[in-house]
Amino acid sequence: MLVGIPLESTTNYTAKPIDCADEMSVHLTDIANSRSQKAFAEVFSYFAPRLRSYALKQMGNEALAMELVQDTMANVWQKSHLFDAEKGSPSTWIFTIARNIRFDLLRKQRNRKEDICADDLWPVLCEQTADVNEVALDHQVTLDEINIMFTRLPDKQQQVIEAIYLEGKSQQEVADEMNIPLGTVKSRTRLALQRLKEMLDE
Amino acid sequence: MINFHPSTQQLDDFVAGNCEPTLALMISAHADMCSHCMAKCQQLQNIQSVGAMSDVPTDHGPDFSAMMARIVQMPSAPGLTTLSAKQASIELDGKQFVLPRALRPYVKKTGDWSRLVGKLWQAPVDMGDLGRANFIYMEKGGKVPEHTHMGTEITLVIDGQYSDGMAHYDCGDLTVLDGQHKHLPHSEADEGCLVFSIVDKPLFFTAGIARLLNPFSNLFFK
Repeated sequence: MLVGIPLESTTNYTAKPIDCADEMSVHLTDIANSRSQKAFAEVFSYFAPRLRSYALKQMGNEALAMELVQDTMANVWQKSHLFDAEKGSPSTWIFTIARNIRFDLLRKQRNRKEDICADDLWPVLCEQTADVNEVALDHQVTLDEINIMFTRLPDKQQQVIEAIYLEGKSQQEVADEMNIPLGTVKSRTRLALQRLKEMLDE
Repeated sequence: MINFHPSTQQLDDFVAGNCEPTLALMISAHADMCSHCMAKCQQLQNIQSVGAMSDVPTDHGPDFSAMMARIVQMPSAPGLTTLSAKQASIELDGKQFVLPRALRPYVKKTGDWSRLVGKLWQAPVDMGDLGRANFIYMEKGGKVPEHTHMGTEITLVIDGQYSDGMAHYDCGDLTVLDGQHKHLPHSEADEGCLVFSIVDKPLFFTAGIARLLNPFSNLFFK
């Protein structure tokens, strides 16, 4: 455990949601769009004392607590365009920023090497969080392409490739089942893979 | 299908930023692969933020005006991290494995693959002070000799499936094992199985000729 303090959420499970979420969302949008210092003052005066109180409870140290307030509110000022009201309330967003900063502060304080950082564990302040899906899509396209290439192979080569690479049979099993010599299975496999490679290079 | 998830308590600790860094990393990677746990984390985050931010301080506290004045002098949005800058996959023998987002920072810290006994491949990952981690690839029919753990072993299945005499694990499954468990991981999946595993102490082999390996077990999966 990094800290020996029980989670607040277990005791405050039924706490009322903060009722100024809409108002704070509007202020965050104003900060993002027009760098409005007035809007920031509203957000700051609401959250800074609450953040300090959270940080004091978690870390028990006034200097660290103020560092956490400063870093968190600086992120709110500088990265307010990353706030997305669809994903959660302003207080959830600000809480996650504070949680990340607290994690890094505590590790730094224990002289840990920079081998893990909060932004990698909880990507709160990243420009794009959808790239996991993008990669999956690329992968899908490749599979589709392979499927098309596969159907362009001669039927006999398709049968062999399907049995070996999709059904996981050994070349000997394929030879026995199709009642052809092992050498034929081997040469069909080789020709098919060669053809697939050529198609991939095209 | 994912059957092995972190417990609600572990997710709650993770969201609060209170769980051990290695477990946090593994839960984060699991949540990248598991929409169910991802949604649960969002929920817990909402609940926790209400608790954490509803506490209005009783004292007047310090004067924040100097801090606020300093902050509004700062420029907008410096140093944004973009995820896509990180390498997203690792390669073994021509096969590409796409990694969950949380593990991508470690691609650069992954050493070369080496072949071990029993159709096993291992690539060590330099985790600094976090512990010892490896990508382990079991070919179809590959086996790790039966062993138990002197410490804790956290394993995430990244691709394929494996079994270990206790259960069958699929892509995305997360398991935490310690000295109470004895297991014999093996893969019968056609595509084999790639796992990411962190141990904090060497393994202890429990059966057969593999027991001879114990004096050298820190060479394996260290």
